Amino acid sequence: MSSATAEDQLSLTFSALANPTRRAILARLARGSAGVNELAEPFDLSLPAISRHIRVLERAGLVVQSRQAQYRPCRLDPRPLDAVSAWTDGCREAWEAAFDRLDDHLRDLQANPKEEDDE
Amino acid sequence: MSDASNADAVVIDRTFDAPIDLVWRAWTEAEQFQAWYGPTGATISVATMDVVVGGRRHMSMAMDTPNGPMEMWFVGEYLEIVEHERLVYTESMSDAEGNVLSAAEMGMPEGHPTVTEVTVALENLGGKTRVVLTHAGIPADSPGAMGWNMALDKLADHLQGA
Repeated sequence: MSSATAEDQLSLTFSALANPTRRAILARLARGSAGVNELAEPFDLSLPAISRHIRVLERAGLVVQSRQAQYRPCRLDPRPLDAVSAWTDGCREAWEAAFDRLDDHLRDLQANPKEEDDE
Repeated sequence: MSDASNADAVVIDRTFDAPIDLVWRAWTEAEQFQAWYGPTGATISVATMDVVVGGRRHMSMAMDTPNGPMEMWFVGEYLEIVEHERLVYTESMSDAEGNVLSAAEMGMPEGHPTVTEVTVALENLGGKTRVVLTHAGIPADSPGAMGWNMALDKLADHLQGA
């Protein structure tokens, strides 16, 4: 089912974003492509540790690493972030609609306190 | 452990023209809850709604879609209950038995189900009731990850400006 797959992509994106180092890497890549060494510079972390973070971001589809022989710059792919904002927008819309019904429901309860189970 | 007010995915602040007891019951009594909850056109059927700390909530949401009728199940747990003040619960997609649908069960090699957390804060405005709802996405495998949504918002703004 495509919606289940979409939901799961969202989970991957959430997991990938749930780490300050990975968010900092994304923020850096938002300014332009960069190699692993350059990405590692601001952090007190080993290159393999940075590479692991990059792999998590790659699996989430947020980072694409080109496969050129020597220099392998990473670049940002913001598309999964659109899915996150789509989730947030859908969530807000559903709550607003539910709250409209809650408003009506509470009004009905107060107008007909004895018939509260009828609606 | 949680401070969902710092992890705002969705925050809705709304005042209802009803006394606080009615609003509280609308959230904590199954019959009341299913009368209004869910997206437009959905029918909510509460299977379990055990409003105690650690208690379970399990419900289905049925709706007609262009591809035919669809039913989804959700399961969660009540984390905080302060009558007339505050209600916090989690929510995950599940099957009809209430088993959380995990990424692995969907055949994904990596990844984790997203647990979301809903916080309902009530305030008595003398006959009216203010409700501040917070619905936050929380990666299940990342305790201590609270607050990432704010960072995400900033990142999204940054990307849009780029």
